[in-house]
Amino acid sequence: MQLTRRKKLEIVVEAPVLRRVEAFLSEAGVRGWTVLPSLAGAGDSGEWRSGDFTPGQEKRLILALVSSEAAEKVLARLADFFADYPGVVAVSDVEVLRGEKF
Amino acid sequence: MVDSLQLALTNLLTPAILFFLLGFGAGWFKSDLAVPEGAAKTLALVLMLSIGFKGGVEAARAGLSADFMRAAGLGLALSFGIPVIAFGVLRLISRLDRTTAAATAAHYGSVSIVTFVAGTEFLRVSGVPFGGYMVAVVALMETPAILSALILAGGGAPGRQGLRSELFREVALNGSVVLLIGAFLVGLLTGDAGMAKMEVFVGPVFQGVLVLFLLDMGLVAARRLSAARSLTLPLVGFALIMPLVSSALALTLALILGLAPGNAAVLAILAASASYIAVPAAMRIALPDADPGVYLTLSLAVTFPFNLVFGVPLYAAAAQAFIG
Repeated sequence: MQLTRRKKLEIVVEAPVLRRVEAFLSEAGVRGWTVLPSLAGAGDSGEWRSGDFTPGQEKRLILALVSSEAAEKVLARLADFFADYPGVVAVSDVEVLRGEKF
Repeated sequence: MVDSLQLALTNLLTPAILFFLLGFGAGWFKSDLAVPEGAAKTLALVLMLSIGFKGGVEAARAGLSADFMRAAGLGLALSFGIPVIAFGVLRLISRLDRTTAAATAAHYGSVSIVTFVAGTEFLRVSGVPFGGYMVAVVALMETPAILSALILAGGGAPGRQGLRSELFREVALNGSVVLLIGAFLVGLLTGDAGMAKMEVFVGPVFQGVLVLFLLDMGLVAARRLSAARSLTLPLVGFALIMPLVSSALALTLALILGLAPGNAAVLAILAASASYIAVPAAMRIALPDADPGVYLTLSLAVTFPFNLVFGVPLYAAAAQAFIG
């Protein structure tokens, strides 16, 4: 059983800009990712809760397992993006199975 | 005068308003009553579809008149123009930053479909006729305000970050607008034959959906209000007075243009209403720095209840007095 080192990106952005951020991933050569919903949150842009009529404020979590090079490219795009739009990104070191897929 | 008061009280004693107040009370006292998010979105779709379809059928019966062109033109002008006035007032009386002021102003230039529903119900009960095509005017008034706000704020975020097409899609192809206009066209094309098929859905079922939707709105409005931290007296004052200013402006222009009193009343109600679904979502793309805590709370928790309970009978009475 062979484990490979990769980077895990966890990106939280608001639903209206989701597709734009997904484009950052595909443009950086990332081959796959998963989008997860969220229930509530708080931060600089205010508080929101699912079902509370907060159109546009619902967040999406993008989970992606990527190579270091791809991670750097995505982070550079996000650094620029977050100058205008709210969001967070966290990078962590992980080990994955079938590393050739990522 | 007594007649109007009578009507206003009758307005309050309808299931729709009472369920709104129930939701408001439940939300205020922190009951765990809640309408699931998916359900609320479905209810909104049913509302849009029913209103559009009914409007189209009525327009098919009565035909589109010159009054429609005038009402549509005035509606568009109001949607573009009211944000400018609202922006000016906000910058004058409050300490809101330019971006949040512009975003808030956009809400007041746009419309609330539920306020339109409540308003037209009231007019129907009062025996005031208006054109079925006014639904199309509602759809037209939804999004121009977004563009006005973008100009007022000098917002560059969407352009800088390649979100122009997203914004364009929100403005021109907004979901609620597409459904509203689409349903209107379907009603227009199928007329009475179509209505025979849809009768139960857009009639009795619609009433139930409306009531559930208003229950949810009451819950949300109360929760928002009790959680609001950035509400100052000038802002609350703005949220209560701006609808009066907008409706007065709409009535004056309607009088000059020679619109029928019923249509003028509807335009006044639309001008006074503030969006809380289409515009807030667009604002997260157009003006992301604006504070949703301000614009959503004012629109949803202050202006909407005010219009629902006091505004609608007031604007209808004013339209009758000055134009009818």
